[in-house]
Amino acid sequence: MNLQLGVLEEMILILLLMKQETYGVDIAQEYEKQLGQSISLPAIHVVLKRLESKGLVSSYMGEATAERGGRSKRMYKASSKGFQVAKSLQDNRTRMWGLVPKLNFSPL
Amino acid sequence: MRKQLSHPPRWAERLLQWACRPDYVDEVLGDLNEAYYWRLEEKGHRKAAFKFVFEALLSLRFTHLKPFYHFNLNTMMLGSYLKIAFRNLYKRKAYSVINILGLSVGVAASLMIFMYAWRVLTFDDFHTNEDRIFMLYKERITPNGIQPTYDTWVPMKSMIKEEYPQVVASTRRYGMTGKVKKDDVYIEEEITFADPEFLQMFSFEVARGNSTNPFSSPNALVISNQYAEKYFGSLQAVGRELNVYYPGEDSTIRYEVTAVLKDWPKNSSLEPNMIVAFESLPFYEGVKNLWGGSFIDNYVMLDDPTSQYVLLDAFPAFVEKIWDKEIAGRTNFKLLPFDEYYNTFLGSQQDAKILVFIALGILLMAAINFMNLSTAHSVHRAKEIGLRKVLGAFSGQLRGQFLVEALVLSFFATLAGIGIVALCMPLINDFFDIEIAFSQIGPPVLSVGFVAGFVLLLGLMSGSYPAFFLSKISILEVIRGIFKTKGGRQVRNGLVVVQFSLAVFMVTGALIVRNQLTYMQSAKMGFEKDAVVIINASRRDFTDREEASRRLKTFRDEVKAQSFVKSASLSYSIPSNWVAGFTFVRPEGWEGDPLRMGMSYVDANYLETMGIKLTGGRNFLPDSEGDQRGSVILNEAAAKAFGFDKAEGNVILIGENRLNVVGVVENFHYESMREEIKPTLIFHRTAENPVHRYIVCKMEMADISNHLSVLDGQWGALGTTNSFTYNFLDDSMAELYTSEQRFLRLVGLFTIISILIAVLGLYGLTIFVIERKRREISIRKVIGAEMSNIVLLIVRDFSAWIAGGLMIGLPSAYIFLRDWLDQFHYRIDISWTVFLLTAAVITTLVLLTVSYQAIRAASANPVKYLKED
Repeated sequence: MNLQLGVLEEMILILLLMKQETYGVDIAQEYEKQLGQSISLPAIHVVLKRLESKGLVSSYMGEATAERGGRSKRMYKASSKGFQVAKSLQDNRTRMWGLVPKLNFSPL
Repeated sequence: MRKQLSHPPRWAERLLQWACRPDYVDEVLGDLNEAYYWRLEEKGHRKAAFKFVFEALLSLRFTHLKPFYHFNLNTMMLGSYLKIAFRNLYKRKAYSVINILGLSVGVAASLMIFMYAWRVLTFDDFHTNEDRIFMLYKERITPNGIQPTYDTWVPMKSMIKEEYPQVVASTRRYGMTGKVKKDDVYIEEEITFADPEFLQMFSFEVARGNSTNPFSSPNALVISNQYAEKYFGSLQAVGRELNVYYPGEDSTIRYEVTAVLKDWPKNSSLEPNMIVAFESLPFYEGVKNLWGGSFIDNYVMLDDPTSQYVLLDAFPAFVEKIWDKEIAGRTNFKLLPFDEYYNTFLGSQQDAKILVFIALGILLMAAINFMNLSTAHSVHRAKEIGLRKVLGAFSGQLRGQFLVEALVLSFFATLAGIGIVALCMPLINDFFDIEIAFSQIGPPVLSVGFVAGFVLLLGLMSGSYPAFFLSKISILEVIRGIFKTKGGRQVRNGLVVVQFSLAVFMVTGALIVRNQLTYMQSAKMGFEKDAVVIINASRRDFTDREEASRRLKTFRDEVKAQSFVKSASLSYSIPSNWVAGFTFVRPEGWEGDPLRMGMSYVDANYLETMGIKLTGGRNFLPDSEGDQRGSVILNEAAAKAFGFDKAEGNVILIGENRLNVVGVVENFHYESMREEIKPTLIFHRTAENPVHRYIVCKMEMADISNHLSVLDGQWGALGTTNSFTYNFLDDSMAELYTSEQRFLRLVGLFTIISILIAVLGLYGLTIFVIERKRREISIRKVIGAEMSNIVLLIVRDFSAWIAGGLMIGLPSAYIFLRDWLDQFHYRIDISWTVFLLTAAVITTLVLLTVSYQAIRAASANPVKYLKED
């Protein structure tokens, strides 16, 4: 798997893998919780569309709820291809990290 | 509990709702909503609302937006309309080709006319001060009416400027022929003498050189860009010198170019290619205070166009101030608005306006074709329309659909039309001797706007009726299969009659214009114009006048001695270029004001050579000194004006000079037949006199080119650098009618085009009519009808249309062309043969078009069509 992903794309893909099934606002809250950084909803939406068009996530329309002004959610779920891509990214990273010499920092 | 009162900003919600793709809108708005309430609890309404708006705006990104045509229902439908339009065009190819061909030919013709008319109608409009510039002229009030004369006096310019504060600027203009030296040859040019204000009043802008005061020295010369190239090529023209020889003055002047003018639009009446300061006129000192003779143009620029009325009111007193009360009684000054200059001296914008009407007529005919074919074909579309209605289409949407179809068609037709014009442009310019180009329409933005407007106009014109008609089709009738195009028929017949009327009008018009022109060119002129060769032989073209006179006399004698020359003569004038000048003349014992008459100079052979007949008296005596000074021959018009009933024995006075009238000649047309034959005085000058400009030869026409080369050889023996130039008199006379000739050609072409369009439409309609009557024809045939009966059955409808077209077209053509003919003093009467010919032409064309189809239908196997149902 040598699909290129941006950092934000990767983060959100991992969040999706963590939560199994989720939607925009939930991702924003989880992102803030995990990374201590706020993120705008439109940014998440765009990334989700992009991931979907790359075939890494799938989506379906959920039920309408009152707290959303009567609008329904679009629920997202990572596909198995998404899992593969994320996993290979993590593996590569871990492997490379293992090759970094841990003790020999040259003095600044 | 949440505060129920708080709500995200509605406008942002609505904006997003409107612009977002419908399948995304729930997700995006829902998430934003949820986030708002979540933030509301944490941070309060203001911050949450701000964040909501911010994120809503950020959500308006390309991936989230609807395709542009989905923004409302109508634009969304547009895509469908276009698709259907193309499918329909493709499905019925013959019909589409007839439509597009007819429309595009119509478009091409009318585009061409519009371009030509634009050029003529915007003549001189590039002068930004056009509405404030006036040409001064005088009117002579005589017992026979008012005569305008346009030449004015040299001192007038400064006088009028001093007299009236309303005059902002004034300039004189005088054109004099000069021979400009280029390398070793002399080229004849018109040198314009004008005041420095000339360049400020008229929009002739300086491109290079001294733009503030180009006439600072008496030898300063301002030339046009075109002439700068002609004389100096690519070299810098400013600062260079040109020598100009003035034959009239017999002097050469050296000029220095101080400025080069920018190119001006081609439709300019004034063409000042070489301008010299007026005060540098070689004989300026002699005329600078001359109120006795007028020979130049004077132009004024007023502070405001309305000031002309102030000046007109004050002019009588002004005339009295310059001369005296007596002259003021018979002379007045007038102002000619400069935008009338073209109409007064050069051409007629009237003809251009007529052509614009013709163009609109042709467009209308093409549009009618489209309307008729569309409504006629409604049967084919009826099921489609019915089904659309059943599925819930509004009639507005159906109208929209047919309008879009018309627009698509007119778009292609316009494109094809532009293509045709572009391809034919050189041919057309050549054939009609005009200069039109796409670039003349104006800046590209304007042209694109014009074309877009054109497409819209044509589309709406041709699409509105079918749209209206087709959208009204009743569903029930369609579904039950009893649909008939009953309502459309009346209108369709009416439209066809309109079309035929237009065609009849055009044919009649073209025939009458042609007859008038033929009449003018073949009428008895009062002299013999055939087989007359005019050789240019002015002594003014030679530097040594004395020598030239002798040599030209020798040349004439040699010419005369040739066996193929029947008669030769020297003269100042020829018909088509007759009047040498005007003079005031009265018979002896006449009480009233003198009459203003044109005059000319000829030698004693002239009347014989030209075949001008004396009605009384005698010809000039050759080489008689007395006849040169004291004799005159009148034309009949002049004799009538003086009230002479006998040819000889009368005496007329020019000033105090007595002249014996020795003879009277028959009236002859020395000008265009537009004009009445005016009184003219003919004076005698012997062949040696330097005034003469032409050698007029009556020749044997057989083997004429050989004869001319013999004369050319003899001319060479004269030892002059001027080349042998000649004209045939009938050509010179024909040149008087170039504008009429061009008009006839244009009208003729557009007549053919209009007939073509009418026939195309007719062809389409015939196919339709026959299709409707297929079953009837087949049944009749089975029962045993003759083929001729069947053909007659089909042709019957069409004869009503022809009759209607003739009934409307002929009278309107008669009325319109009667007015058009009024501009000619010598004109034809509109005869019945023209109407008969028109009727015959139109009937034949219709019969040819219809009968081919009719005969084919009548000879088809009836079984084939009866089986179908």
